[in-house]
Amino acid sequence: MKISVRDAGETKIVEVEGDVDLGTSPDLRRTLFENLLHAPKLALNLAAIRYIDSSGIATLIEVLKDSQRRNKEFVLFGLSPAVQQVFRLTHVIRIFQVFQTEEEALGSA
Amino acid sequence: MTGGLHLKVVMPSDARYLPVVRGAIGPLAAAMGWDEADSRAITLALDEALANIIRHAYHGRADGLIELECREGADGLEISLLDTGDPPDRTKICARAIACDQPGGLGTHIIKDVMDTVSYQATPAGNRFVATKRLRKTI
Repeated sequence: MKISVRDAGETKIVEVEGDVDLGTSPDLRRTLFENLLHAPKLALNLAAIRYIDSSGIATLIEVLKDSQRRNKEFVLFGLSPAVQQVFRLTHVIRIFQVFQTEEEALGSA
Repeated sequence: MTGGLHLKVVMPSDARYLPVVRGAIGPLAAAMGWDEADSRAITLALDEALANIIRHAYHGRADGLIELECREGADGLEISLLDTGDPPDRTKICARAIACDQPGGLGTHIIKDVMDTVSYQATPAGNRFVATKRLRKTI
């Protein structure tokens, strides 16, 4: 799994590539929590995720709840088919703000 | 003509082996006749079952062993996992309400949704997880 972070105005955009599973989700969790501290909005690009399991989805739920506690925004965009399928199976998509493109995600505030 | 497809693997309870198993089970399911989405779902269900064993039976220790067997039957696939860690707490399996916003307990719901039957048994050899999925043939 590869993770990179860039700025777009006041938003931190986190890009993830590869597999998010029991072994790699702690790295994603650490990156998301760290960056949430330094921006009012965090946008996670899921387009290059080849695989995500329930530990990855649980990480996203934890970050979302932390963002809500801090009055910050956490949005997702570019869901790959693999990610969409896991969201469907876990029935949690409704709790997230999900956008197709980065432009839409950045304009959501 | 030989019998149905059969894969047997003994892996350490180390999360670094999960991608290795995923790399094998997806193509195996596809070879048995499932489409890409179903093969991906079967892979996910198996991965979740293995992750549960690593987390809950072996508590993250990487020195346990997990025996994995996938067998093609007359009407589908049977997946069997055997471990010698702590037995699963049956009160926690699928105890999480579906569609709620709590992060834990998603894996067992995925397994139950994807597979047709799921069972957990305590045997003299260890904890045995067995799940089956029927292949619905279209004519």
